[in-house]
Amino acid sequence: MSNSDPVKVGVLFSREGVTSRIENSMLLGTLFAIREINDAGGLNGRELVPVYYDPHSSPQMFKSLATRLVLEDKVNVIFGCYMSSTRKAILPVVEKWNRLLFCPTMYEGFEFSGNVIYTGGAPNQNSALLADYMASRFGARVYMVGSDYIFPYESNRIMSDFVHQRQGGAKLGERYVRLDAQESAFAPIIRDIQAKQPDFIFSTVVGRTTRMFYQAFADAGLDPARMPIASLCTSEEEIAEMGTRIAEGHYTAGPYFQSIDTERNRSCLAHFRKLFGSQVEPNMSWESSYNQVHLFAGAFVAANSDERDVLLPHLLGMEFDAPQGRIRVNPSNHHTRLFPRIGRVNDSGQFTILAETLSGVEPDPYLVSHSFDDWSNRLRVPADELTRRE
Amino acid sequence: MSSPARPTSRGTRLTPEFLRQLRSLRVAVLHPKDEDGETLTQQLQRIGCQVQTFWPPIPDLPDNVDLVFCAVDQDVMGMSFNWVRQEQPPAVIAIISYENPTIFDAMIKLGATGVLTAPIRSTGILSTLVLTVGLNEAMRKAEKRVLRLEQKLLGINQINEAKSILMRTRNVGDSEAYRIIREQAMSRRVPTEEIARAIIHANSILSGPTG
Repeated sequence: MSNSDPVKVGVLFSREGVTSRIENSMLLGTLFAIREINDAGGLNGRELVPVYYDPHSSPQMFKSLATRLVLEDKVNVIFGCYMSSTRKAILPVVEKWNRLLFCPTMYEGFEFSGNVIYTGGAPNQNSALLADYMASRFGARVYMVGSDYIFPYESNRIMSDFVHQRQGGAKLGERYVRLDAQESAFAPIIRDIQAKQPDFIFSTVVGRTTRMFYQAFADAGLDPARMPIASLCTSEEEIAEMGTRIAEGHYTAGPYFQSIDTERNRSCLAHFRKLFGSQVEPNMSWESSYNQVHLFAGAFVAANSDERDVLLPHLLGMEFDAPQGRIRVNPSNHHTRLFPRIGRVNDSGQFTILAETLSGVEPDPYLVSHSFDDWSNRLRVPADELTRRE
Repeated sequence: MSSPARPTSRGTRLTPEFLRQLRSLRVAVLHPKDEDGETLTQQLQRIGCQVQTFWPPIPDLPDNVDLVFCAVDQDVMGMSFNWVRQEQPPAVIAIISYENPTIFDAMIKLGATGVLTAPIRSTGILSTLVLTVGLNEAMRKAEKRVLRLEQKLLGINQINEAKSILMRTRNVGDSEAYRIIREQAMSRRVPTEEIARAIIHANSILSGPTG
């Protein structure tokens, strides 16, 4: 292979199926980074070329398309996956053929593979902060609603441990809805919430059911100022889908919001809008999808190869000036140092950032037992938010 | 089957206590520092255990080791480990490259209750660890219970024997014999089993050599 040949990489994000909307934004985040890299001269002069397939939010299709990318398209690197079930489906493929998967979604932790780089958050980078913030401001009597798969189960285990550490903490309910549930699935849950009156609701509902849940909540006349929904995955994209009126006042924890007020983030967003218009709303999964292509590019330039064994040493410890802050691949666990934040949806459908970490938080994907202890001194809370709490 | 529209509900998602303690687990790794050894120790460090590696194998381990990962190879099979014979030996996970009777025999002699097969993958180490530690805890509890029950049973036999001695020598009934034992125990503030043993002992002296 000569030095001017293009570098082909696999891209797997769904444009069909239950999580198509968020995955489509991740696809554009990926293509945006590829465009930036090529506009800046490519990878040591070689063009970066995506080979894209649509896996329809289906684990089986993720697996067969990953196999096709490896065996037919001969790619060494794949960017993709939103739900944990789809990542688990690809894992044996990249391990068997010794390829590298970049996975951009925050997830429930407890995974390590030498063939995966994880650029979304681990629970210590989002659940911990969210639990602490909500419990100290609203109380620790929580009601949990999630989609019926592994990420919500494990996130709820962590949240249960948290609230039980708190005085007066209690779990008032734990309900799961299918990923393809209809509106009617939420009616009995809303009734139960009305009866039990928790301090806040912890939601790990993902995909298109997210809108249904917030809609049902608003339709019942429940007030987010008194009993908000706190989520790990309701981003600007889901807000755009459900509409600002329904989303306003609810909380989300994540390392990235469009509203981050830095020159880096503003110019990144402006550049994205210029190239891709407003077909998707940039969000935390969009940003991590964008970041991980740049992490790959940085390592490729140093290694001058995309073969896993040659590339990996350069990738471990690789840093990137991301829109959220300067991120870094942790050499020991292959996850990424991130900047946890808490946002509340405001009247323009964006997140008002209420708390953020002063420096990045290292990933700790195997932490079983989280504690409330060291968040307060690492957080920056805006002055007006402090006075509002009085 | 519930209808698809009906949400499922699971009420008790909370972390078991021994899983919370994983990070205080003291782990010894007896394995060569090759690729498998590195995969193993690095994954244990990710999990957050306190790991120490020993190779070549040594007969003694530091005190208070909770769990040993031990490669079952020629070097290890020739060793005599003192920790295997400890009163409360650490839990043992064997790492084997061959699945044959010779290796199984060595593995069982180490007291292994968990096994990993080489080549080692990061995935699978935590589940084997959790199962082995959980199993060992259950075994330890069961052993304690058996010991307690054995002592209890022995005590009951002794009391019965003491009662029959009293019934014979003092010509009293069963409940009267027991009342005498219990009264003595109460006034001397000792267990009834101890009084029973004293009676049996005294009787054996008084009855003298019979042979």
